[in-house]
Amino acid sequence: MTSLDELRLTFFDECSEAMQQIEVGLTELREGNGSDDIINAVFRSVHSVKGGAGIFGFEQLVRFAHAFETVLDAMRAGKLSPTQEILDVLLTAGDILSDLVTMSRAGDEIPADLGSECLAALEQIMSDGGLATEDGSAPAEFEGLDFMPVAFDQTGIDEPNTTDDPGLHVYEIVFRPAAGMLKKANEPLFLLRELRSLGTLELVAETGGLPSLEELDPTEPYIGWRGTLRTAATRDQVEEVFSFVDGDCELSIKDVTPPMATVSESPSDFAAPAEASAPLAPTAAATPAAASAAPAAAKSADTPTAAPKASPTKPAATTTRVELEKIDRVVNMVGELVIAQAMLGQIVQNLPEDITGRLAQMLDEVTHHTRELKDSVMSMRAQPISSVFQRMPRLVRELATKTGKKVRLEMLGENTEIDRSIIERLGDPLTHIIRNSIDHGIEVPGDRASVGKNEEGTIRLAAEHRGGRIVIEVSDDGGGLNPERVLNKAREKGLVGQDATLSEDEINNLVFLPGFSTAATVSDISGRGVGMDVVRRNIQDVGGRISLKSERGRGMTIQLALPLTLAVMDGMVIKVGYETYVVPMSVIVECLRPKRSDIHNLVSTSGMLNLRGNLVPIVDLAELLDLRKREMDSDERVVIITDAGEGTRVGIVVDELCGHQQVVIKSIEESYGSVPGVAGATILGNGRVAFILDVEKVSELASTPAPPVRGNGGAYAQPMSATIN
Amino acid sequence: MPNAAGMKVLVVDDQNSVRQMTRITLEQIGIRHVHEAENGKLAMDTATLQPLDLIISDYNMPEMDGLGLLRAIRGHPVARKIPFILLTGRGDRELVVKAAQAGANNYLIKPFTADILRQKIEQVVGKLS
Repeated sequence: MTSLDELRLTFFDECSEAMQQIEVGLTELREGNGSDDIINAVFRSVHSVKGGAGIFGFEQLVRFAHAFETVLDAMRAGKLSPTQEILDVLLTAGDILSDLVTMSRAGDEIPADLGSECLAALEQIMSDGGLATEDGSAPAEFEGLDFMPVAFDQTGIDEPNTTDDPGLHVYEIVFRPAAGMLKKANEPLFLLRELRSLGTLELVAETGGLPSLEELDPTEPYIGWRGTLRTAATRDQVEEVFSFVDGDCELSIKDVTPPMATVSESPSDFAAPAEASAPLAPTAAATPAAASAAPAAAKSADTPTAAPKASPTKPAATTTRVELEKIDRVVNMVGELVIAQAMLGQIVQNLPEDITGRLAQMLDEVTHHTRELKDSVMSMRAQPISSVFQRMPRLVRELATKTGKKVRLEMLGENTEIDRSIIERLGDPLTHIIRNSIDHGIEVPGDRASVGKNEEGTIRLAAEHRGGRIVIEVSDDGGGLNPERVLNKAREKGLVGQDATLSEDEINNLVFLPGFSTAATVSDISGRGVGMDVVRRNIQDVGGRISLKSERGRGMTIQLALPLTLAVMDGMVIKVGYETYVVPMSVIVECLRPKRSDIHNLVSTSGMLNLRGNLVPIVDLAELLDLRKREMDSDERVVIITDAGEGTRVGIVVDELCGHQQVVIKSIEESYGSVPGVAGATILGNGRVAFILDVEKVSELASTPAPPVRGNGGAYAQPMSATIN
Repeated sequence: MPNAAGMKVLVVDDQNSVRQMTRITLEQIGIRHVHEAENGKLAMDTATLQPLDLIISDYNMPEMDGLGLLRAIRGHPVARKIPFILLTGRGDRELVVKAAQAGANNYLIKPFTADILRQKIEQVVGKLS
């Protein structure tokens, strides 16, 4: 990638930020929370887009942004008041600008008439307000402007002011930094420069106080200065230069202005302490006086300036563009480190106690650092969720217009950070949920008014960190689900038995079943053949969970609980036979040890478990994977009730639960191939590899008459020989 | 004659892309010593702590805009003599007039080419070598 391409990318990233600012600002304005600051911020954002677009040659973008900006400029100058009509046009303009940015970014051909209607509306606003529309093609040069010419010199600000006015004062100045002054981050060089900027300064360095090089403490000042300043400045102004070192130096300023001031030739050795940056070593061999002066100069030029120099340049480097791949590599290495450290921990545990003391202590420290390292690397991959959220206001606006409903979107916690690979997969589910809310949830203004609700419905989109997860909630104050209709629909579709008795919560959760749609008519908005089941699938694919709460007539809330990252996962370590597996915590509903009498064997399947009156199919993992079984009482075995997708519950029979643990996910697809029923692998603390089960696939395998996973060497014998190259 | 390679220039703009673009263009005319700041306040910090030969600053910035920066620079005992070029858009004549009154030494209209940049800088500091 050339640097120009990179810059273009940087520009588009800035555009995204700007678009968000515009969106947020205009929405605020529209809600009547306007302020000059907001108008200014919106103007600035549009202006930035325009400026950058000009530099990178996106002409259409420039033209549109210019018209947009002109209206905002009139608004911020108070020549135009932000009425609802104008703000609506501006919001549309924001959408079009966003389209133009997107198309320019993708390098798409932009239709010449894109936004022409809006452009006309913007111009109309200006002419209605009796304001002239500035032509974007104004001359690139302004005539008749006078600028002060600058006499350039290489030292710039260091150049003494040589104007020789008769009205000048002459001050005799003695300045001797006291011990400790440098430690307070005071740099004599700057003071002298500042002094010099006031007029003609002539100083002699007093180097008598310099110790020999061996005895020299580089953090202490040893040099003093004495000389004259010829200046138009007042005594106060001269004193002000030293205001920060007041008390940390010996200072005397005497006005010695003679009737006709003549100042002696400047002593030539002044330049050395102030400007020289001679290295320390060679000067040691020089004459004692020069030798002692030079280190001090080097010191004053290097040491104290280092700190103040660093801070102002830092903001420019607050972000660095790093390829995602590189970060992934670090994430991987950290994963390895976590594993190695866990293994080390086990080895140490098995050592005799008399040699472990200090070792265990150090290991604790390593563990601590590893965890911090892991967290900071993970945070590098994290991105504020605002990149998804910012697409929603437009969606809400467009849908509200289409449905004739009034909807307000509230967003909270946009700065919550989450792994970017998850962010990328959140857009569709969120879009769908919001579509649903507007299409089916929020009522038309008339209906709302008749039940005493505000005509304007509210959708609240909130994200927050909660217990190691990210929780996103989409709630609306619409009509909520109608349990009767949901149940009837589900019966109609054969999704539940005619006589099944379900709690209201269970009924509400039926909407997650595939093929479910309560809307009587398939609308243009949410009826796109995608149901909530797909939303649920999308969320589960990233290790998340979705749940729903609905209150009839009051609205509903859909909650998404997402993991912080995809690279590390919460897992339940289980044992079946003599093998160890990991079951993702996100699919586990509950674990129990059922009574023999609760398990009903039906034909050849492993059976059904009577779970508080509901029958749940169970899968004997040992049997399915053809593992050597352990001799154990079947009452001792554990059933893990899992959510195998699409709302189906499946019980997985295992021998033992070993505990809950964070595991680093290793893909086996890359190095080996895809194995049905296995989502990946991880390395446990004891150094052994364990497979992470894909519960959904496992339950599918179990229900297939001849499971493909069958072999004589264990779980992976068959597919391994089938897929290895 | 000022030596381009020895010049220290501070570029102030809230947009990273514009700063980088300006930096690249400055490099094309031989100016390699470029500091950056993303708003007037940060620029002021830099300008008061580093010897600078030129400031090229955008107008529209949060925190402190270009005119604010110009006024702060001109009012500062150490930094007040640093030459100042205001970056502006087409048609912002009013702004440029204000800047001239506040002590700007020239202006530069975005987008600009390396030739124009050199021309403007030379108008301010003299022919570059």
